[in-house]
Amino acid sequence: MSALFELTSLKGSRARTPEEKAARRKEAGRDNLAGYLFLLPWLVGLVVITIGPLIASLYLSFTDYSLIQAPEWTGLENYVRMLEDPRLHNALRVTFIYVVVGTPLQLVVALGIALLLNEGMKGLAFYRSIFYLPSLLGGSVAIALLWRQLFGTDGLVNQLLRLLGVDATIGWVSDPSYALWTIILLHVWTFGSPMVIFLAGLRQIPAMYYEAAAVDGATRWSRFIRITLPLLSPIIFFNLVLQVIGAFQSFTQAFVVSNGTGGPSDSTMFYTLYLYDRGFGNFEMGYAAAMAWLLVVIVGALTAVNFLLSRFWVFYDD
Amino acid sequence: MTDLDTAALPATPARTEQPAPRSQQAVSSGGRIARSLLKHLMLILASIVMIYPLLWLLVSSFRPTEVIFRTPGLWLNELFVQNYSEGWFALGSPFHVYLFNSLVVTVGAVVGNLVSCSLAAYAFARLKFRLRTLWFAIMLVTIMLPIHVIVVPQYIIFNLLGWVNTIIPLVLPKFLATDAFFVFLMVQFIRGIPRELDEAARIDGCGHWQIFTRVMLPLMGPALATSAIFTIIWTWSDFFTPLIYLTDPTKYTVPLALRSFLDATSGSNWGAMFAMSIVTLVPMFLVFLFGQKFLIRGIATTGGK
Amino acid sequence: MAVNRRQFLTAAGGLAAVAGSGGLAACGGSGSGGGGGNADGSAELAFAWWGNEVRNANTTAAIDAYTAANPNVTISPQPGEWASYWDKLATQTAGNTAPDIIQMDMAYISEYGTRGALLDLEEYGVDVSKFAEGTVDSGRIEGKLYGVNAGINTPTILANPELYEEAGVDMPDDTTWTWEEYGAIAEELSAKLGSGSFGSDSIFNDVLLSAYLRQQGKELFTPEGLGFAVEDVIPWFELMKSFVDSGALPDAARISEGATKPLDQGDFVVGNSAMAQYWSNQVEAVNKSSGKTMAILRYPSTTGQATDRQAWYKASMLWSASARTRHPEAAVALISWWVNSPESADANLAERGIPANLEIRERITPELSEDQQAVATFIADIEPELGTTPIAPPPGGGELGDIMQRYQLDMLFGRTAPADAANGFYTEATSNLKV
Repeated sequence: MSALFELTSLKGSRARTPEEKAARRKEAGRDNLAGYLFLLPWLVGLVVITIGPLIASLYLSFTDYSLIQAPEWTGLENYVRMLEDPRLHNALRVTFIYVVVGTPLQLVVALGIALLLNEGMKGLAFYRSIFYLPSLLGGSVAIALLWRQLFGTDGLVNQLLRLLGVDATIGWVSDPSYALWTIILLHVWTFGSPMVIFLAGLRQIPAMYYEAAAVDGATRWSRFIRITLPLLSPIIFFNLVLQVIGAFQSFTQAFVVSNGTGGPSDSTMFYTLYLYDRGFGNFEMGYAAAMAWLLVVIVGALTAVNFLLSRFWVFYDD
Repeated sequence: MTDLDTAALPATPARTEQPAPRSQQAVSSGGRIARSLLKHLMLILASIVMIYPLLWLLVSSFRPTEVIFRTPGLWLNELFVQNYSEGWFALGSPFHVYLFNSLVVTVGAVVGNLVSCSLAAYAFARLKFRLRTLWFAIMLVTIMLPIHVIVVPQYIIFNLLGWVNTIIPLVLPKFLATDAFFVFLMVQFIRGIPRELDEAARIDGCGHWQIFTRVMLPLMGPALATSAIFTIIWTWSDFFTPLIYLTDPTKYTVPLALRSFLDATSGSNWGAMFAMSIVTLVPMFLVFLFGQKFLIRGIATTGGK
Repeated sequence: MAVNRRQFLTAAGGLAAVAGSGGLAACGGSGSGGGGGNADGSAELAFAWWGNEVRNANTTAAIDAYTAANPNVTISPQPGEWASYWDKLATQTAGNTAPDIIQMDMAYISEYGTRGALLDLEEYGVDVSKFAEGTVDSGRIEGKLYGVNAGINTPTILANPELYEEAGVDMPDDTTWTWEEYGAIAEELSAKLGSGSFGSDSIFNDVLLSAYLRQQGKELFTPEGLGFAVEDVIPWFELMKSFVDSGALPDAARISEGATKPLDQGDFVVGNSAMAQYWSNQVEAVNKSSGKTMAILRYPSTTGQATDRQAWYKASMLWSASARTRHPEAAVALISWWVNSPESADANLAERGIPANLEIRERITPELSEDQQAVATFIADIEPELGTTPIAPPPGGGELGDIMQRYQLDMLFGRTAPADAANGFYTEATSNLKV
């Protein structure tokens, strides 16, 4: 990840000769003082609040730590155990499906709705707020209960299907074959946050480009492809990176819908849910910490790939 | 910007009609109305799906607890307002105490996040300093580690500082830009702002501080509004952090108070909980309804027009 | 990425901070408050419990009564909600700020007790002299009393008389019924009640597994680990499968759904099923939520004789004290007062379960609701049927019910055979234990 900025920069050309390298070094340190002054609050936060727990969790991942007693050093035991823990492997599988299916689906819906809502029309503020509502409610206990009821064997969904002539007796949240998909649906349904970020991004595209394109008689589609997408790409990139990270850490929805069990039969046992279950439910915080660092490695690698790929499609003006 | 400009302006016009400032105006007015109607119809249909749970929550808050879960429909035979009057006073303190506690934490979090994250984001996006990439990578790693393994060591640190059972652990981290999500968000927005603007200011002799306050901040309207809205909503509904740090029930925030109505092993007071949920959601909805104006307004000042 | 000296120093500094925090090791006192000297018997106590707002009100009233009588004791209450209560308690324990008085559950008492986080209450002279027989031992682990019974609980089968009448089925004789008879009755009810209703919720949980094993002379747990072998649970899985196949129990999807429902939305409570297993201290909530008066029955036995069914009193919850409290005497005095004094009884009645103190039980019985009086009668009636008191689940044992449920659902959804499910359950339950 050492060259993130160069990689992501559109004009990131690499210095080759010693003189160029020296020049680049000088360039890199141009704003040293100002840079660190602006960064000061974040640095203080990092040192005082973040780094300690970060390192502590790394240390704990090599221990047996029940929370109640002091940690005991066990070396690589937790990491070895991860290799042969079938529930962990299942959690990884469930989470990958969720990330691979849920994230793109949610982003496409969010972008589509954001584009629709970005055009001048009456009642815009109202629609925007309505579409954001599920995200306000997403993690609440009441909504989880309603969700379980709607998708229950006698729930509204099955009743609607029966009206359509389908003999529906499926327990959408209680059958291990379907439960994950209803949670993915719940995830897509709460597309409010990426939508808002897209909207803000769309608003930042200067109108002059569209006006110039309109003068040239560009179609809606070509305006979208040639102006909107490139200029929105940093924001699309942000949403992609953060939604992938977020999806890997997905916890609340699965927790409330399955009552914290990840059930039925571990079919919605997301990685973080299992981590929480080990750490707090079964007093194995050392193992949970090891799981957390495996997650960091996986998500970090994916994020690095995301950054590498971004140089091909993300456009920055710097 | 040059390559983008040419990309945006095709050499040969795609259409042969008279160029019009907005393509919508090229469509006949009858077609426009039909299309607008269709669009509204679609949006309204989608809205119903989106809003159904909230309507159900609202309707349920006016039902006695016993009937709430027997009726998924939205019919309301009577207004059972006792849920509100009882719910308000059912807990150790009247509900406005919790609302006030949440308000204090939320205001602190918003101010903290906006100040500290925009500073850090400006540094990451515009300044060239040593180890910038390393710090940026570390920042990303801090987002990736699940909170559940961080919370215990963090609790120990705040406990050593003597800040447990105060709101400091809920607010102070925001002033130290620990919400890397927002730093990254603002970085991405700043990098979308044309560089000519701050280069121009620099040539005029502005220092970084002046560029930041006079050029950058005004241009970051949508990003700041987005961050503020998210901070408000996430802080307002955050359960885990206040759970861990607050022990005195008079300091509880709203989500903690709402959980007090629940008891999975015997009876929960769903009616009161739903009523108070509505009470806590209304301010959030209003924040969003009015806050989003700034998402739009902020841009009026942007370079284009 | 290369690491230079400055980065290394930052990292080292962070590590030092953590090591120095000492919170990861065990030292220091309880963080209940700054209050120091207690030569005059003064103490500040933090008091944590979970419950709904009814319990919160009762508990606050009792605390007020205690501090009024003991003005040099101040109590800071920490009410909570079941699920999050344990996250908070674990974090506080890790940070050495555990509350002085802890409302404890049987599922967690050995996790905390065996790891030295709880006080041996007998050492500080807690008074349990008037407790009913078999009610003190629930909180005893490896000879130390880590928790005092806060209310008696016993497993029951609840039956909905209205559904029995609707189906035209007679109420069973619960002193003679066997597991097979239970299945037959449930099957008949399911058939006669028609679609959408069924004879019984799943009763194949860890509670009745314990009962079932005890009737075979086994136990769920012994101090050494699991108290049974795979062969003992294969019939249990097979029995469940046969109940589902015969229609006595609902299908897999509904059983799975039922497992996540809170009490007030359970199939039994809303009138979809005629029988279910509940704890005795849930009877009042069931009746209140359903608007009916359910019949309280004994769970079945293998021999058809209630005296063989190996019933037991469980502590619905317990009172524990933190091992690191600064005021052990004051904390234990408060617990003694809580379970023995008339003032406390008047404030709490039987909200945490029928009191274990027989004098107190007698005192409050006339004050109890009809539902609670029925429970008190039931608890007194079954005394001749009591077996030994089961030990608390050892560390890692609290999840046994969840593990079993996962393998049961796998079986019911047709993914594994009963014997494989039983095997899988047994293996995972064994490896989950930390003894």
